[in-house]
Amino acid sequence: MTPTQQTDASTAGSDRHGRRPLHERDPDLVDDTGDAGNAAETGTTVVGVTTEDAAVLAADQRASVGGGRFVTNKDTRKVEQIHPTAAAALSGTVGHLQQFVRVLRSESRLYADRRGDPPSLTALSTLAGSILRSSPLAVSPLLGGVDDEQGPAVFTLDGGGGVLVDDYAAGGSGMQLAYGVLEQDYEPGLSPVDARRIAARAVESASERDTASGNGVTVATVTREGVDTAEYDAAGEVA
Amino acid sequence: MQGSSDQQAYDRGTTIFSPDGRLYQVEYAREAVGQGAPVVGVRGEDSVVLAAHAPERSPLAADGDTEKVSAVDDHVAVAGAGHAADTRQLVDLARRRAQRERVRYGERAPVDELATVVADHLQEYTQTGGARPYGTALLVAGHDDDPGLVEIDPSGATRSWRADAVGRGASDAVETFEAGYGPALGADDALALAVDGLSAAVDEVTVGAIDATLVTADGTQRVGEDRLRAAGAGAS
Repeated sequence: MTPTQQTDASTAGSDRHGRRPLHERDPDLVDDTGDAGNAAETGTTVVGVTTEDAAVLAADQRASVGGGRFVTNKDTRKVEQIHPTAAAALSGTVGHLQQFVRVLRSESRLYADRRGDPPSLTALSTLAGSILRSSPLAVSPLLGGVDDEQGPAVFTLDGGGGVLVDDYAAGGSGMQLAYGVLEQDYEPGLSPVDARRIAARAVESASERDTASGNGVTVATVTREGVDTAEYDAAGEVA
Repeated sequence: MQGSSDQQAYDRGTTIFSPDGRLYQVEYAREAVGQGAPVVGVRGEDSVVLAAHAPERSPLAADGDTEKVSAVDDHVAVAGAGHAADTRQLVDLARRRAQRERVRYGERAPVDELATVVADHLQEYTQTGGARPYGTALLVAGHDDDPGLVEIDPSGATRSWRADAVGRGASDAVETFEAGYGPALGADDALALAVDGLSAAVDEVTVGAIDATLVTADGTQRVGEDRLRAAGAGAS
């Protein structure tokens, strides 16, 4: 890093490149040089389902090491609000996904303060993709949100920065098991309650067989009014 | 320029003191602030108000809703008097620092900390060769555990106030505050006093020319025209 870049991070006057996102000005925020060898991973099953007016995200609550060999935490929060009308369901290394959430949340807020309105889903998902593309963060999130341009939508993101939009999606180590439920039960025009139940059932089904998933379900419902998050011990409790 | 050739030598560069210990460029920057549209701030018991007055120069101006008080994160607002473009740079600096604090520490940046970061930046420009000082003074209003109001001047000095004004007519506004300020002002009382201060600072206050923001424990909130009228601002 050149001396110019170092001052660039802390001063306005030397910002010769305009109003860039935080992570471009200050790559340390998303740069990871540490050894992730024994870091806790979520393993995880994450699911996203859209309805006419909402995007529903769900995830299990287990963190583990050794690919689910040992459970290190039984109450891990893997669905986080990152925007007034968007949330992320996260799988990957715990530390990486926590940093990803902090950076994306701040970028979203900075965008809103600068421009008056929060980013659209297109802008938010593109930004999230470019953060992942430009950093070694081992995170594969699903984004779910609602905006005026495209209504409710779910995006799958990968470590290479790929961004793909879909009506429903799953991710994490329990992905195949969750997709089994989604392919059976998803249909367009679900009610929000049905969408929450299907998403939770997909997570629960994966938790039965994937040792890196389990210990309950977090379900977030994103509408134009905001993000509503609830936690359940079992899919049957979902309302 | 008036004055002896000696003085002219001392106002060429920011980094040169005059023999009597003055930094002329910084003093000239304060002159630029004094010519700017006024900004006032009033701290109440549970809230702090920032209000700016800048009437449109022409009916042809198309950006009718120009931002004069800028939100910086959930709990802080900033307004400046002087060169608007200088203010804009500083507002963005504050916004970036506010978000970086959240990334680094997972907490909101304290108001005093944000003000100090911006002030440190201003100070650099009183000491850097080839640069000029910022021609703007800022009022920073925020709410941590309590409401706070901080002034930053072009030298980089900061000071906390119960009520304060910068820009054209600031001394008249401050006189109004000294006469009218009392303990435990409610939000509407603080807003009314801010509007009184603006009225003292400029000849004619119109509602349409005021941009006011209220900062409470719930965050920043732009004050609507109805509430401004109720606070005593004249009809536009």
